[in-house]
Amino acid sequence: MRHRVARAAEIPPGGMVLVPLGRRGVGVYNVRGAFHALSNLCPHAGGPVCRGDVTGTTVAGGAPYAQEWVRDGEILRCPWHAWEIDITTGRTITDPTRTVATYPVTVEDGWVVVEVDER
Amino acid sequence: MSAAPIPPAAGIVDCAVHPAPRHPDDIRAYMREPWRSRPFPGLQRYFYPAPNGDFDPAAGPNPGTDPDLVARHVLRDRGAAAAILLPQTRGLLPDLDLAAAICAATNDWLAAQWLDRPGFYGSIRVSPADPVQAVAEIERWAGHPRMVQVAVPMQAHQPYGQRLYAPIWEAAARHGLPVAVHIDSASGVELQTTPVGAAAHYVEWSALYPLNFGVHLASFIAEGVFGRLPDLRVVFADGGIDMLPPLAWRMDKNWRPTRNETPWVDRTPTAYLRQHVRFLSHRLEGPADAATRAKWLSLTGAANLLMYGSSYPAWDGCDPATAVAGADSATATRILGASARDWYRLAGEAAQA
Ligand code: FES
Repeated sequence: MRHRVARAAEIPPGGMVLVPLGRRGVGVYNVRGAFHALSNLCPHAGGPVCRGDVTGTTVAGGAPYAQEWVRDGEILRCPWHAWEIDITTGRTITDPTRTVATYPVTVEDGWVVVEVDER
Repeated sequence: MSAAPIPPAAGIVDCAVHPAPRHPDDIRAYMREPWRSRPFPGLQRYFYPAPNGDFDPAAGPNPGTDPDLVARHVLRDRGAAAAILLPQTRGLLPDLDLAAAICAATNDWLAAQWLDRPGFYGSIRVSPADPVQAVAEIERWAGHPRMVQVAVPMQAHQPYGQRLYAPIWEAAARHGLPVAVHIDSASGVELQTTPVGAAAHYVEWSALYPLNFGVHLASFIAEGVFGRLPDLRVVFADGGIDMLPPLAWRMDKNWRPTRNETPWVDRTPTAYLRQHVRFLSHRLEGPADAATRAKWLSLTGAANLLMYGSSYPAWDGCDPATAVAGADSATATRILGASARDWYRLAGEAAQA
């Protein structure tokens, strides 16, 4: 089923809407102009992952003990136990085999359209 | 202890034997002035004297001081092929130059008096509080064919993963030398014996000191030292494997939520253990009955992480049968020698199995 969830202009870059689709709701995110739709169901313990903060993450820096901030606006932190999720793929950062379900998103006639079949 | 499967005698490697000078001042012969005449503490821990004295009476009146007698007790009588000698130094001393001089003299004494005997391998003592001198001492000995590890005290003023110490671990890794962390026997200016203060009695101290191994281990992992130094290997040389499973569970569980604080830790903390960490056996550890012991050995990962160390001539030392009580024969073979030969890359007589 395809659903018009919002006008594209209503979800500016960095923004998101949580819409009542699927089993637990679906978060629709705009990451620098690209839309991503994620299930609001954390693969860890079922937390409402889309209620979490949109943030960035860290990687080891060039020097020992140094770290750098990367991917600002592309990472979701689950509000229950703080697992980090890559909004662009749904993968958790620490275990790529555990992923948040994602859905196809398109923009048609100025509408953000999400395809969600589960009910 | 119940009868345990013991592999062929030539396979046994004792990873912790503590030789001592006949008189504590004998190492002064290996020191230059002004250190030679400088006062420094003796060798025995004085905060927590053991109930019957610190030494096994069977080790004789001058325990651990006679290379022939030590060879007879730890090698011949127990059918061991090799012993890693780990002499004590004098605690954490506030004068870093004096501490370094004591380490250097201990190394010279060990090489001159002990390492020419078959089956004896040595530890390079360094004082980690001064990384520059510690690295120089490692460089001085790294080419010695019988020096097989670097040794540092368990007592420290900062956990060992912190950046102050990084050059020492880099030097050890560069030379392929494991680092042994062992309680130093004399009291210097170390911190309280537990993080909440000094234990009052021997029973508290002896039960709790392995907490410090846990602190150092957590620090090595969380500070990314193992990640940056794939060749660094650390052996906690005075027990402590008892403390490992809960520490490992707790760190693994909290790695996912806190990974972003330590981005250099790119795997679950327990994933570092097999490549980077060993513990030595200790008589105080594990449940007393053999059936539960088998379960305990499997819980602790002993088949991969535990190696036999007698702590000779300590009063609470451990013999080979005690170290492997409850183990199946493959595990016993690893604990008693196979793991140590890999870990120390032993050549010569110890390599025969
Ligand atoms: S439920 Fe999301 S991190 Fe635990």
